[in-house]
Amino acid sequence: MSDKTEGGLAPVLRILSLWRARAPLLIVGGTLSLLAVLAGLVLMQGAGMRLAGTASGALVVGVLLLRVSGIGRVVLRYVERLVTHDAMFRALADVRVWFFRHLAGGAAAGLGFRRAGDLLSRLVSDVEALDALYLRILVPLAGACLILPFLVLAVLPVDPALAMVVGGLFVTGAFVLPLGAALLGRRQAGALTHRLAGLRIGVLDLVSGLREIRAFGAEGRVLSQVRERDARLFDAQAQQARLLAMVGGASYLCGQAAMLAVLAAALGVGFGPIPPVRAAGLLFLVVAGFEGIGGLTRAGALAGGVSRAAARVISVGGQEGPAVPVGTLPAPADTHLRFEQVGFRWRADRAPVFDGLTLDIPAGSRVAVLGPSGIGKSTLAALLLKVAAPTSGRIMLGGQDLADLDSASVRRRVAWLSQVTHLFADTIRANLLLGRPDATEAELWAALERAQIGDLVRSMPDGLDSWLGEGGTTVSGGQGRRIALARTLLSDAPILILDEPATGLDAETERDFLLTLNTVTAGRTVILIAHRLVGVERLDRIWRLSDGRANAVAA
Amino acid sequence: MSGDKTVMKAWTRAQSRLGRRQAMPIVGLGMLSSLIAVGQAWCMAAILARVLVGAGPGAAGLLGALAVLALARGLCLTLGDIAAARAGRAARLRLRDGVLSAILRGGPALLRQQHSAELTALAVDRVEALDGFFARWIPASILWIAAPGLIAVLAAFVQPGSAAIMAACGLAVPVGQALFGIGAAVASRNQFLAMTRLQARFLDRVRGIATIVLAGRTEDEAHRLAAAADELRRRTMKILRVAFLSSASIDCAMVLALVLIALRNGGVVLGLHQGDMPPTTIADATMRGLFVLLLVPEFFVPLRGLALAYQDRAHAAGAASAMAVLPDGDTRAAGNATVQAGADGVSVAFEHVTFAWDAARGPVLDDLSFVVPAGQTLILVGASGSGKSTIIEMLLGFVVPGGGRVTIGGVDLAALAPSTLSGLVSWIGQKPVLFAGTLRENILFARPDASAEDVGHALRAAAVDTFLADLPEGLETRIGEGGFGLSGGQAQRIAIARAYLKNAPLLLLDEPTAHLDPSTEADILASLRGLARGRTVILASHSASVHEFTGQRLDLGRRHPAPVQGEHEHVG
Repeated sequence: MSDKTEGGLAPVLRILSLWRARAPLLIVGGTLSLLAVLAGLVLMQGAGMRLAGTASGALVVGVLLLRVSGIGRVVLRYVERLVTHDAMFRALADVRVWFFRHLAGGAAAGLGFRRAGDLLSRLVSDVEALDALYLRILVPLAGACLILPFLVLAVLPVDPALAMVVGGLFVTGAFVLPLGAALLGRRQAGALTHRLAGLRIGVLDLVSGLREIRAFGAEGRVLSQVRERDARLFDAQAQQARLLAMVGGASYLCGQAAMLAVLAAALGVGFGPIPPVRAAGLLFLVVAGFEGIGGLTRAGALAGGVSRAAARVISVGGQEGPAVPVGTLPAPADTHLRFEQVGFRWRADRAPVFDGLTLDIPAGSRVAVLGPSGIGKSTLAALLLKVAAPTSGRIMLGGQDLADLDSASVRRRVAWLSQVTHLFADTIRANLLLGRPDATEAELWAALERAQIGDLVRSMPDGLDSWLGEGGTTVSGGQGRRIALARTLLSDAPILILDEPATGLDAETERDFLLTLNTVTAGRTVILIAHRLVGVERLDRIWRLSDGRANAVAA
Repeated sequence: MSGDKTVMKAWTRAQSRLGRRQAMPIVGLGMLSSLIAVGQAWCMAAILARVLVGAGPGAAGLLGALAVLALARGLCLTLGDIAAARAGRAARLRLRDGVLSAILRGGPALLRQQHSAELTALAVDRVEALDGFFARWIPASILWIAAPGLIAVLAAFVQPGSAAIMAACGLAVPVGQALFGIGAAVASRNQFLAMTRLQARFLDRVRGIATIVLAGRTEDEAHRLAAAADELRRRTMKILRVAFLSSASIDCAMVLALVLIALRNGGVVLGLHQGDMPPTTIADATMRGLFVLLLVPEFFVPLRGLALAYQDRAHAAGAASAMAVLPDGDTRAAGNATVQAGADGVSVAFEHVTFAWDAARGPVLDDLSFVVPAGQTLILVGASGSGKSTIIEMLLGFVVPGGGRVTIGGVDLAALAPSTLSGLVSWIGQKPVLFAGTLRENILFARPDASAEDVGHALRAAAVDTFLADLPEGLETRIGEGGFGLSGGQAQRIAIARAYLKNAPLLLLDEPTAHLDPSTEADILASLRGLARGRTVILASHSASVHEFTGQRLDLGRRHPAPVQGEHEHVG
C-alpha cells in the first residue's frame, strides 16, 4: 500500500488541519520570525546608509536606530527559533498520537499485511520529515512575502527599472526556483522515503530473524541483501544531494545578480545613476533580503518528500475487510447470544467462511466450538467483537442486533483470549491491568492463582513488577499463555471467549488448567474454541464447524 | 561514566581519522571559496569607494570581475555540497556494515538484552544521524581555523589593526562553544534515549495492537505514547537551545567586530574629510576600510558552520556509547575442525553438561549426559521450563555449556567454526520467521543455489504443494511480517521445506506442533517423520502425538524435579 501513496497538496492540507489545535503557538512563532526578519532589514539598510554617510562626510542615520534594531535582531532571532521549534515539536507529538489512534481504529483484526517495521518508519521518520513543512517552508515563505514588498518599495522611488530587476530576481530566488526544485525533486523524494522504509524493513528482518540466519548460516546472504537496500537508498540520496547543491548554487547566484544590479545602478552602468548613500543602503538591504530566502530553494527540493511523508502518515487508517456498521446503542445487560443464519467472507474474491451459521448461546452457558485450523473459529470471535460484520444474517446480543450496538460497549461485555494475545514489553502488573485498570493487588494475585501462575510470579525477585521482555521472552511460552489467561480472567466481562487457551501447555497442566476453568468461570458465558476436547471440560453444548455451518454434537 | 567517556572519545577520534580523507576535497573547496570571498570584498569595496568618493579604478572591469567571482564561488559552493554528501554516504556505508556485521556476530543472544526495535534503530537511524558528523563536522572542524586564518592574514596586509580586532572577536567564539558544548553532548545522549524508547514502545504496541483495541485500552496507550513523544520534544529542545545560544553568541561576536572596525575606520575617514585631503587619499582609505568591513561576515561564516555542525558531533558522541553494546570482535575462537557425517546422520553426545541462564535461579541443566547414535531419535520430554529448549539452543551454538562438553560426530562443538556447525544442523521451532519477500525466496533461504528440481522435491516432501494453489500468486506470493496469510501449519510446512533443501544430518525439532490442531499436527508429524529418515533427530515436545516417533526418551522433568513449574526456562 505504501507504493500507492501519492504526494500532492491534499495530504499536506490534512496534516495542517491536524495542527489546528496548535495554531496559536504556530502563529506566534511565525509572527516572531517575521519581526526578526523586519529588524534585520531595518538594521542592514540603516547600517549601509550610515556607513555611506560616514564615507561621504555626513551622518544620515542615528546610532539609536541601529542599536535597537541590532539588539532586536539577535534577541528576536533566538526567541523566534525557540518558539517555532517548540511549537513544531508539539504539533509533531500530536501527529504521532493521532497516527496511533487511527491505526488502532482499523487494527482490531491485527496488522495484516502492514509490517510493523513500515509503520515504525512512518511514525518516526515520516512524522519527523513533517517539521520541514512549518520550519523550512511555511515560515520562510511568509518571511519572503514580507521581504518582497519591503525590497520593492525601498528601490521603487529611487529607480523603477532597478526595482523591477531586483524584484524579479527576488521572485525567482524565493518562489520560482523553489517551485522548480519541488517539481524536480518530487519523484526523487518519493523514492527516498520509500527506500529508507525498505532499509528499515530489511534491517528489522535481519534482527528478528537472527535465529534462522544463524541456524542456516545465512549471515553473508542476508547482509548482502540489506547492503543492496542500503545502496538503493544511497543512490536516491546522491541524486537528491546533487539537485540540492545545484539549486543552492542557483539561489546564491540570484542574490549575487541582484547585488551586481544595485552596484551597476550606483555606478550608472545600465541603470540611472542613483545617489551614493541610497545605493549603499539598498546594497545592504538586498544582501539581507536574499539571505532571508537562502534556504527556501533547498526546502522546495524537499517539499516532495514532505508531501509524500504526509501522505504516508495520513493513509494509515485504511481498513481491511468488510466495513463494520457503527452502532450507537449501549450493549444490553442480557447476554443471551444468537447467531441467525450468519454468512461471512473476508473478501469478495475469497470463499465464504460462514454460510448459514446458527448458534444459540443462553446467558451463563458453557459451550465449545470445535474444528480444524482455518475453518473460521477465530472469525467467530472477530464477528462477536465487532471487528468484522456478517455479510448476511445477523448476530443478536440480549435480543438486540449487534450491528446497532456501540462496539466499545460490546467489547466491555466480551473478554477474549486468543492464540495471538500479545504480552507487552512491560511489567507483569501493567500487562494484567490491561484487562481491568482498576483491579486491586489482591484481585491481581487471585487472577494469577486461577491461571496457576501465581507461584512463579511470587518466586520472581520483583514479583508483580517483574519485567516481561519483548513478546514475553523472559518467561516460557506456557508461562506467557497463563499470564495472558490471568489477564482475561481479571476482566469482569460476562462473556469469555477462550480461543485455544491451553496451547503450549503440556498434557497434565492442560488438564489441570481446564479443570480450574470449570470453577473460576462460574456464572459467566464461556465460549471455548478448540481443535479438540480433552474430556474434563464441563460443557452445556458442543458444535463442530464444517462447510460454514455449525453442527451440534451431543454434549 | 568516565569509562563511557573514554570509549566515546576513542570512537570519535578513530572515526575522525577515517573520515578525514573524504573531507579533504570539502576543505579544499571551502578554502577556495574563502579566497574568492576576499576577491569579492575587494571588488565591492573598490566599487563602493568609487561611488561614494568619486575616484578609483574602472567601473566596468570591476563589475565584470565581480560577476566572474560570483560564478566561481557559486560553483565552489555547489561542488562542496556534493563532496560533503559523498563523504557522508561513504562513512555511513562503512558504519552500517560494521553495525550489521556486529549484530550478526552477536547472534540470537543479543535479542535477550536488546529489543529488536532498539537494534534496528541503531543500524538505521543512528547511522543516518551520523551523516552530519562526516559531511559537516569533520570539514568544519578544520575549516573554522584555516579559513578565518586565511582571511585575517589577507586583511592584515591592508589593515593590521582591524585584522587583530577580527581575530580577537573570532577567538571568543570557540571559548563560548566549549562552554555550551559540554551540555550539548549529554543532552544529545538523552535525546537519543528518548527516541529509542519511543520507537521500542511503539513497535511493541503495534505488534499487540489487536489486544489493546479489544481490551478497550486504546486511549490509555495513546496517552502514554503522547507522554513519550512529549519527553522527546523536551529533550530535543534542550539540544536546540544550546545550538541557538551558540549561534546567537556568534552573531554577537560578529556585530562587535563590525562595530569596532566601523568606528575605527569611520574616525579615520572623518578625520581625512576634516583635514581636506585629496579625494584619492580619501578614496583609498575608504576602500581599505570597506574591504576589511566586508570581510567580517566572511570571517565568521566558517565559525557559524562549526556551530551548526556542533550538534552533529554531539550525535556522534551519543552514537558511540550506543554502539558499545555490540560485540566488538569475534570472541569465539574460530575452530577449524570438520565432522564426517555418515549416510544415516551423525552422532550427538552431551557429557556432564551444566548450564544456568541466571546464576541466582540455579542451573537448568545439571550434569546432563546422554548419547544419540547416528540415525537415532532422541525425544526430550518434560514440563515447560525443564531445559528442552536449552539443549536445542546449545546444539545450535546460540549458548555454550557452563561446564562439560557437547560433541557432534565425536568433535567438541567448541572446536567447530560457526559455519561448519550450521551446515550440520536443521532446526524447526514453534514459529518459523518468514522474511520479507516471496514464498519462493523464503524457501530458497535454506539454500539459494538450489535447482528447480530440488525445490520441487522439497515442496512435495513438505506438502507445501497442497496449499500452493490456494495462494493468489503461488510460489510468488509475498508474505508479510510473521507470515500473515499463512496458517501456523502452512508456515511450519515452509520450515520443513527449508529443512529438506538444506539436507543437514542433524535435525533439531523444538515443539514443532505446539500451535497446531490435531489433524494438522498429525499431517505435520507425518511430514517430519519423512524428513527424519536418514538423519539424527532430537525432538522436544510435550504433545502426546509424538509417541509416533520411535526412539529413546529423556524425561528432563523427572531428572530435575523443579519446585515451581517452569521456573528455570526463559524461552519456550
